Amino acid sequence: MLYFIGQVLPYIAAGVFLIGVTYRVVGWLKVPVPFQLTLFPAPRDGVGRISAVGIELLFFKSLFKNDKILWLWAWSLHIALAMVIGGHVVGIYYLMNQFTLIGMTPAASQTMSAVLGTSAGLVLMVALMVLFYRRISIPEVKRLSDPADYVDLLFLLSIVITGNHMRLPTVHVHLPAIKAYLGGLFTLTPVPIPTDWVFVVHFTLVNLFLIYFPFSKMIHFAGYLVNRAMLVEAAPVYPTPAGTPLRSPFAGTVPKPTAPAGYPAGTKGV
Amino acid sequence: MADYIEAKGQKIEIDEDGFLVNPDDWNEEVVKIFAKVEEVEDLGEDHWKVINYLRDYYKQFGIAPMVRKLCKDTGFSLKQIYDMFPSGPAKGACKLAGLPKPTGCV
Amino acid sequence: MKVPLHLAKEKEAQAIGFPPVAEAEHQMRLLAEIDDYRKSARSLMVMLETCTKCGACAEACHSYLGTQDFNNIPAARADLFRKIYKRYFTFTGKNLSRFIGAEDFDAETIGKWVTYFYQCNECRRCAVFCPFGIDTAEITIAARHILTRLGVMPRFMAGIAANMAKTGNNMGIPKPAILDSAEFMEDEMREETGLEIKITVDKPGSDILYIPSSADFFSNIDTMIGAAKMFHALEVNWTIPSTVLEAANFGLLFNLDVMKEQNERLREAAASLGAKLVIQGECGHGWRAAKMYTEGATGPAPFELVHVLEYAYQHLPKFKLNKLPWRVTLHDPCNYARAGDIIEQPRAIIKACVTDFVEMTPNRERNYCCGGGSGLLMDEMMEIRMQLGKKKAEQVKELGHLDYLASPCSICKAQLPHVMKHYGMGDLKMGGVMDLLGKALVWD
Repeated sequence: MLYFIGQVLPYIAAGVFLIGVTYRVVGWLKVPVPFQLTLFPAPRDGVGRISAVGIELLFFKSLFKNDKILWLWAWSLHIALAMVIGGHVVGIYYLMNQFTLIGMTPAASQTMSAVLGTSAGLVLMVALMVLFYRRISIPEVKRLSDPADYVDLLFLLSIVITGNHMRLPTVHVHLPAIKAYLGGLFTLTPVPIPTDWVFVVHFTLVNLFLIYFPFSKMIHFAGYLVNRAMLVEAAPVYPTPAGTPLRSPFAGTVPKPTAPAGYPAGTKGV
Repeated sequence: MADYIEAKGQKIEIDEDGFLVNPDDWNEEVVKIFAKVEEVEDLGEDHWKVINYLRDYYKQFGIAPMVRKLCKDTGFSLKQIYDMFPSGPAKGACKLAGLPKPTGCV
Repeated sequence: MKVPLHLAKEKEAQAIGFPPVAEAEHQMRLLAEIDDYRKSARSLMVMLETCTKCGACAEACHSYLGTQDFNNIPAARADLFRKIYKRYFTFTGKNLSRFIGAEDFDAETIGKWVTYFYQCNECRRCAVFCPFGIDTAEITIAARHILTRLGVMPRFMAGIAANMAKTGNNMGIPKPAILDSAEFMEDEMREETGLEIKITVDKPGSDILYIPSSADFFSNIDTMIGAAKMFHALEVNWTIPSTVLEAANFGLLFNLDVMKEQNERLREAAASLGAKLVIQGECGHGWRAAKMYTEGATGPAPFELVHVLEYAYQHLPKFKLNKLPWRVTLHDPCNYARAGDIIEQPRAIIKACVTDFVEMTPNRERNYCCGGGSGLLMDEMMEIRMQLGKKKAEQVKELGHLDYLASPCSICKAQLPHVMKHYGMGDLKMGGVMDLLGKALVWD
């Protein structure tokens, strides 16, 4: 069982996640955009477009304009999540010494890493709980919600809670063993999975989540980019510049003929 | 399922908005029936001036006239038209005149 | 379920090329159309799949705020489509059903689609406030297009499309009437200014092709007069086409095949009259269709295309204007501010033509729809239309005394008088922006 969780499941999870997300996104990108859907006011050049989409991504600008309380919790959730994911990568690889790269002492780096990681983990947990509460307490949002919307939050919460658990002073997680194990997975040189039960549960939940991910609304991270790209596309220029390809088969088909037979009463001959 | 009114002993078809389906079905009794529906009070000489103008224009051009032209040629202000036909020149006067309902952004 | 709209009868639907599909075949045809659409337009799948049901769109939508009907929340409205899409076209929908928010097609589906996709004004305000930019108007456009393919469409739309096919304009104005009306307007302008300002129709060799809204030849003639005066002041060689006396493109509002046909007319008119510059008149969705859909609908276009307000704005310094002593506010038509890139131009023109311009709040791309958007001008929808116009009425009321409400779009001009009257502001004068320019122009 432990072998399956430690040496088989992670590859299944990574595979399903990567193939699944790719499949969904490619599925969208294969379909043309027959008409420009620019939402005005719109950026006027490539740099403007990238920065508009980027700023929107970093600060959730539209949501801020709309509902500041929702913005507070949704934005905090995503920032904390980004910090947690980023923190996993550098914190595990550098065994919490990543801040020595910017001149801190190992001891200071370890403290910094612990403080940042724990704070992010707590903010993430609270944000998830608040958003769950929001979903059940605002009638319109509750009515809009599908069972999956609740499950997604609870699933993430279980991952975050087990993750935070490993931050408790009474819980000792052996980071080098985890690094060695994960390193083994990446380099395809198997290392036994550490048997701390909290780590195993946390790690299993993460893998199950990765498998669930491409089938869920979590795909919104990619949907955001594909959608925003459409909304900032440059408006058509007239006269159309020579060599502009047809946007889609729609532009090429012959218009449906309309025969105004049995014409509703209203107009006499031209 | 068609709607009908009865005028001069005949069943005349009207559409869902209450306008004549066939403008040629129009007669004076139709006007009186529509007047009740459109809350036109005391059908008088002025009303008939507008109605006849609309029918003549429609016969000639196949469409209702511009509102301002209607006002100018009949000598009534838009307010007066609304006083005579509470639903207005398009939905009130045109209906009584047996024209089809002006459609589009009106 | 009871639907507030009068739907096109079989004959009427057939007349514009959409014979009604038998009810027993509705499900099969609907699914076939969804399948076709999702493979033709990226927006459908991306927007249906990216929604995280946060519900932030609710407070941004005037339709929900005015009707307080849950299904008018943009995400809920989209869900009417999304649930069916997930059930039949996604792995999780097919296998996990209700869990993932998928639902079967049933006897109520088509009725619900008609009811709610014709309570969306396609104003795109939800897209401005959604964290992802999900544009419910895209879903509405898809739903209406598909319903029409099943032969299910409002009678109002079918009638307009038939008129357009027959005469090249929504009202069904035949050419002799166009000429008569043009002559009338020339007489009016002569009486007012003493000048011979001509409105020529189908003049070959014209540099400029001006496309008015057909309503400018019926009820909103001050807009047409304003444009004619402007062209006269600039001494340009212009004409209007009788074959497409219509800036509007109602196809955009209920079926994209019809949109394409109507767009083709514009192209043909420009080609046959040899005009290099096409100027669109005051029509909101028509501007969006011309500007944003021409290239995608009928391919590369050889003419320059500009909106009359952009044109007037470019030439603004040239005009001799006597400012009207009026307090004026601007209603931003949705298809200008959010879909058409016409935001500052009307403001600049108004400021040049009146003494006191005030902004309503919110404005520009955050402004609220008038409630008639996407062609919701049917009489039988009046009660709903007044609810849809509630936010707009509140905005205007807040401003206190106004001499004029500028709303440079024909649908807005048809909807707002009813809205203002309903909410106790029946005396408020309103009209287009070209109207103001026409009134402010002075002649030596």
